Amino acid sequence: MVQDKEQLLGLHIDRKIEKSKSIIREGLQKFGRDNTALAMTGGKDSTTALWIAKNVCDEMDIKLPVCMFIDEGDVFDEIREFVDYIKNLWSLDIHFLKNMDVAAKAGALGDMVKVSGLNETNQAALREMNFTDPEFEFMPDSTVCNHLMKTLPMREFIIKNNINLMSIAIRWDEQDSRKNDDFFIQRENPEHTRVHPILHLRERDIWISIFKYEIPYNKLYRLGYRSLGARCATGRASDIPAWMQDLENTPERVGRGREKEKMMDQLRALGYM
Amino acid sequence: MFGFTKRKKGRKAVVLGLDGVPYTLLKEYIARGLMPELGKLLGAGSLLKMKSTLPEISSVAWTSFMTGKNPGEHGIFGFMEINRDTYEYTFPNFHSLKEKPIWERNDCKSVVLNIPQTYPARPLNGVLVSGFVALDLKQAAYPERVFNYLSGMGYRIDVNARLAAENPDEFFKDLFHTLAKRKEAIEHLYDTEEWDLFIAAITETDRLHHFFFDSALPEKETNPGGHYDKFERFYREVDAFIGKIARKAKEDGAGFLTCSDHGFTPIKSEVYINRWLIENGYLKLDGGEGLTGITRDSRAFNLDPSRIYVHLEGKYGRGPVKTPDYDPLRNELKEKLKDLSFEGRKVIKEVFTKEQIFKGPCAQDGPDLYLLPNYGFDLKGVATRAHVFGTTRFRGMHTYDDAHLFCSEALSLPDPKIEDVAGIISGFMQ
Repeated sequence: MVQDKEQLLGLHIDRKIEKSKSIIREGLQKFGRDNTALAMTGGKDSTTALWIAKNVCDEMDIKLPVCMFIDEGDVFDEIREFVDYIKNLWSLDIHFLKNMDVAAKAGALGDMVKVSGLNETNQAALREMNFTDPEFEFMPDSTVCNHLMKTLPMREFIIKNNINLMSIAIRWDEQDSRKNDDFFIQRENPEHTRVHPILHLRERDIWISIFKYEIPYNKLYRLGYRSLGARCATGRASDIPAWMQDLENTPERVGRGREKEKMMDQLRALGYM
Repeated sequence: MFGFTKRKKGRKAVVLGLDGVPYTLLKEYIARGLMPELGKLLGAGSLLKMKSTLPEISSVAWTSFMTGKNPGEHGIFGFMEINRDTYEYTFPNFHSLKEKPIWERNDCKSVVLNIPQTYPARPLNGVLVSGFVALDLKQAAYPERVFNYLSGMGYRIDVNARLAAENPDEFFKDLFHTLAKRKEAIEHLYDTEEWDLFIAAITETDRLHHFFFDSALPEKETNPGGHYDKFERFYREVDAFIGKIARKAKEDGAGFLTCSDHGFTPIKSEVYINRWLIENGYLKLDGGEGLTGITRDSRAFNLDPSRIYVHLEGKYGRGPVKTPDYDPLRNELKEKLKDLSFEGRKVIKEVFTKEQIFKGPCAQDGPDLYLLPNYGFDLKGVATRAHVFGTTRFRGMHTYDDAHLFCSEALSLPDPKIEDVAGIISGFMQ
């Protein structure tokens, strides 16, 4: 556990970025550029992390490691456009991952997918999570689809490319489950190290960095989105741009749409709303 | 980090929450011999009538239960709030609590299962399984091994309440099945986990009551619903389980409590407060879902169940009411609502201002007025009804003053309230 968490969270933005750089440098020196991968989503956090990594690599005079983008089955067009844009801008080498077996058998969102029709890898993954129903709903933010569409392609990517270090742009203040994370953690199945270079940046810091260092950002944020995920699971938190919202006192992930629908459904069933 | 310090022997307090189980119903069932186990426990323990919170709904009341605080302190005033710019509903979750639950305050190991308003699960020293509204079992369980256990044994987060209207037989099947899984999970965690504090809630009681409370007693005039046989079978099961857990607690030398978050009473009529506000010229909705179409000349609106908010300028994007008009408007609403009646009976028992019922740093976020109805009038926030009064598939409504508290030891509390329970639990933890 990071001992000086509060101190790190209180640093000036330039010092925070320096800390991020030193984390990335440490990772690259230890694991090597060729065994490192950078996860990217087209969202504000991973784009900021990518920008920092690019600066580190320029300083070290090495090429940026390979990037990984997971298509979980319902990607915003605006995200595809944006990823294309920074790919050209920064000459990124991006691997686009998708669980083609599930995607092919699912068709549209909300379709039921028969477990028996999936390949053995996917069936084994479902058994591993104790899922025993004969079919499931194709909905990217559900537990089952999350496992099949995200965890599984990432595992395969790590093994196939001999990745020992995976950089993920999570932040302590993003949600409670993140608050005990550390800059480097060991992961199993498959064995690799995760590095979290912007753990100590708050949501506010991300926007400060974006404007201060002129980091590109997705235009969806201007429309009021605070956090971007699968299209069906993402909603606008407000109708003013993300950076103008009350970041400190309102939840970043409030706009995740489908969760809200499910919540309203359950409340309605008991006579609320 | 503290691996070298020896923990004292645990198992100090066990709480079984019985969502929506009224004091008067328990007394009645004990008297009729339906709940012999609880009846026996009354010998050494005490069963008290307890007050819920205002609003008397599960998310608010259980949060007061787990924090020991007033809504003005913990910040939960209902299942939903409203975005002050877009007027879309927002849904506070476990992260929205401004106070810590007892299991995060005390240096103790806890098991917490199915307490409403604890989703998504967050790390604690022990085990937590979230209750209503929990959407996804994986996010409802901490640590992950508990998710593996629950998904493997076919745990049910909740009853499928939609069945109650569509297919009552299927609903009852689902109700008993969910109760069986709940009991199984509670017993498993009780027996296999290490803990000092064990808290678990049964929420099937509340679901049964919402749809069938007119069947709670066998007498013809009180049982127009005709499902008393299910009530009897259901409560006998609950009673047997209370007895079983109480015995286990006794063997472990732990204090044993049961409590509810509110009571229940049959519905005479639902009352749609937003409709009343519309008909009386306080609210206008220009299309949109919920309150999103609220107009710039609307002076007040209602959120479930009967939280009235003054549409203040500066506080809300489209609010027209200026600060000097705030108190006169509240008084006017208060006077008019006091007179609201249905078939010759007064609907509202009491109208509270926020200053009267909320204290603490979040008190300002609470409703400007809160309406406590007389028994039988179920106040609702729905904005789309054509009339002020109506009935739907629901047969039971929450009550404020008829929750219950049972303690395995003699308790002398003059006016027990749900926010006192955390203190009683802490007493056992010493």
